[in-house]
Amino acid sequence: MSAMNFWMKMLNIDRRWIFLAIAVVVIVPFFARMGLPLIPNREVRSIYDCIDSLGPRNALMIGWDFDPSTDAENQPMGIALLRHAFARHVPVFMTAYLPLGQGLANMALEQVSDTTVAGNFVIVPWDAWEPFRAQGAEGRDSLEAAWIAAGHRLPEGSRGWVFEGVDLAFLGYQPLFYLVILGMGNSIASQFPSDANGNPVAEMPIIQAHKNLRQVDLAVTLAGSSACVTWIVYGTAKVGLRVAFGVTAVMATDYYPYIQSGQIIGMMGGLRGAADYEVLETQGGYTSSTGRAYRGMDVQSLAHLAIILMVVLGNIAYFASGMRKKTALKAGR
Amino acid sequence: MKRTVPLMITMVGGLVLIIQYFIPHQVSVSVFNYYTSWAPIVSGFALILGVGSITRLHYHKIRIRDRNWPYSLATLIPMYLMPVFALLLPPSIWGGNQAPGLFDFMYTRIQVPIQSTMFSMLAFYIASAAFRAFRAKSALATLLLIAAVIVMLGQVPIGDLAGRWLPNLGQWILRYPNLAAKRAIELGVGFGVLATCLKIIFGVERGWLGGAGE
Amino acid sequence: MYDLIGIWVAAILTLAIYSFLYKENPLYRLAEHLVVGTSLGYSIVMIWNQLLFPRLWQPLTHGQDWTLVIPALFGILYITRFYPRVAWLSRYPIAFLLGTGMGVGFPLDMQALVLRQIEATIIPIYAPGAPFDVSLGTVVIVLGTLAALIYFFFSKPHRGPFFGTGSKIGIWIIMIGFGATFGFTVMGRISLLIGRVQFLLGDWLHLLH
Repeated sequence: MSAMNFWMKMLNIDRRWIFLAIAVVVIVPFFARMGLPLIPNREVRSIYDCIDSLGPRNALMIGWDFDPSTDAENQPMGIALLRHAFARHVPVFMTAYLPLGQGLANMALEQVSDTTVAGNFVIVPWDAWEPFRAQGAEGRDSLEAAWIAAGHRLPEGSRGWVFEGVDLAFLGYQPLFYLVILGMGNSIASQFPSDANGNPVAEMPIIQAHKNLRQVDLAVTLAGSSACVTWIVYGTAKVGLRVAFGVTAVMATDYYPYIQSGQIIGMMGGLRGAADYEVLETQGGYTSSTGRAYRGMDVQSLAHLAIILMVVLGNIAYFASGMRKKTALKAGR
Repeated sequence: MKRTVPLMITMVGGLVLIIQYFIPHQVSVSVFNYYTSWAPIVSGFALILGVGSITRLHYHKIRIRDRNWPYSLATLIPMYLMPVFALLLPPSIWGGNQAPGLFDFMYTRIQVPIQSTMFSMLAFYIASAAFRAFRAKSALATLLLIAAVIVMLGQVPIGDLAGRWLPNLGQWILRYPNLAAKRAIELGVGFGVLATCLKIIFGVERGWLGGAGE
Repeated sequence: MYDLIGIWVAAILTLAIYSFLYKENPLYRLAEHLVVGTSLGYSIVMIWNQLLFPRLWQPLTHGQDWTLVIPALFGILYITRFYPRVAWLSRYPIAFLLGTGMGVGFPLDMQALVLRQIEATIIPIYAPGAPFDVSLGTVVIVLGTLAALIYFFFSKPHRGPFFGTGSKIGIWIIMIGFGATFGFTVMGRISLLIGRVQFLLGDWLHLLH
């Protein structure tokens, strides 16, 4: 009887004790690192290999199609993609499905261009290299050579220059994004007369080389909602755009059918997906160490064990306290 | 005028754009280009509805000194201050929409942290639910929990300590039985979406007309 | 200084939201109301900077593209929603966006969400030389999808060798799928908490390296 009472008390425990337990489980591993190895799965590797095959003549589009509520999962993916693309000089278009996503895209650019941290890039604004445009510098290599010849030097530890309008076009947000994708199928500049910083998109070399989505080699949509499916429906089905997903874990299981059907080339699912990409980047020599997502995997490991333990304990408490019989009696079984 | 014209607009607009998809003629392409240019502009004005509704609601609470009326100020003041900071204040006194600035501060230091934190609270609730609600009461529920445990352990590095079979099994579950289940659901959703499209275009579904008088 | 103040404000607001886990309190309510206001304020600026200024105001005033008056007038009709006597006019822009959105999406949705998915299910069950797990998995995809579809077909009773057995297999497949989703949901929720704890311990308290 006393054992049954114990389990009954367990079942009726104040849920704030459970909250405290989870808080402890999440905080402690940050100080007691395990650093367990991670083997990236093939869905993430597909995206990495695709971007790794791209270069200055190709183009990548990254959609910041999430808002701050899923920032912890999606933002590390975006930052990892930017680092990879910038290191390979792959021109990047950045768009946003939601108004709040544009701000997060801007924050990602700020993080990747923070030259007080080693391994980052220097973003040269559109106005800053205007004199070189006027002189007729053509091609990325000649622009960079002219820029360096003019006396500009990379801060110590920085990986390279990113010229806005050549390596990067921060297009930003537009409403009714499914129409924007449709419109970009014909002309990107028609949907974005100016970029998020007010620069004229039509004058940018990146647009002159990649006028529409048919000339974009891969679009990666980072989404916390079904916004990602919009890219398949209005991009892949309409103009054959290659698409990859970077989605939250909650949604990731829903999109395996699209991988198998070939509608997307790969998928990063949740923090694990971002961690996989960081590991691949480090193995590929693009970063000297992994980032926040990989750091969080230790915590994820312990948290999962804790949740499984709670499920098991809860079930033991339920059956041992006789609740099962009581519920069955109440239901007249 | 009040119901028939909107229903006609819906039907004509819908049918024109379905037919447009199949016709590559220049006129058809022009119609499409005008549509992709104009529709976002029309939709941009819809924000007026959101702003107006929130303003009306909270202004009313402030006017009648509702129980929690000071909180309404916390909603209205940032809502109107942010456009002023971004669009009217010069950058020399912390205006504009770049950092450092008041607009950027309110977004990156108020909006983003609060919204991120609100959703992160779900971790605590799922832990509580795991203890109090997830019961293996039947064979199907037990199967669900077993699949969940395998996938959960397979997704984290600690699962590798038991051997590669665990993450491999987790991946197999995701790529095959999970795929089959989700495909069946997605097909149902897909058919539902198509049916809803047709119902709205042909005026069978009229719920969207409501709330605007008679 | 800007960053320092910003991090402290962000940390205090983060803790204000977490305080709700103990008990609802005024600080939590304040943060809750703040986020609604800042979200709308931000959206107003984005809509003006990204859409109305470059795609409406500038072409109208500098480019003299007067055709844009048409969508502008259509959009302004939204305002009539606040005046009951003319609120019915707000149905016009809604009708335009709804009808055209349905029309433009119909063939593409059919192609991407339905036809392509059916095509990916009608595949050979056995491929010579394929590993056992792949062969088994392909059988599961083809028969499992069919069984799950049978389960969701409620117009006929689930009895007999086809509907009865099919729906039984279907519900088992669905439960495995939902189990996978539950596992990922737990992972996703924990990840969001990890992000905030990384901010508090790392960016705010500088306890992480």
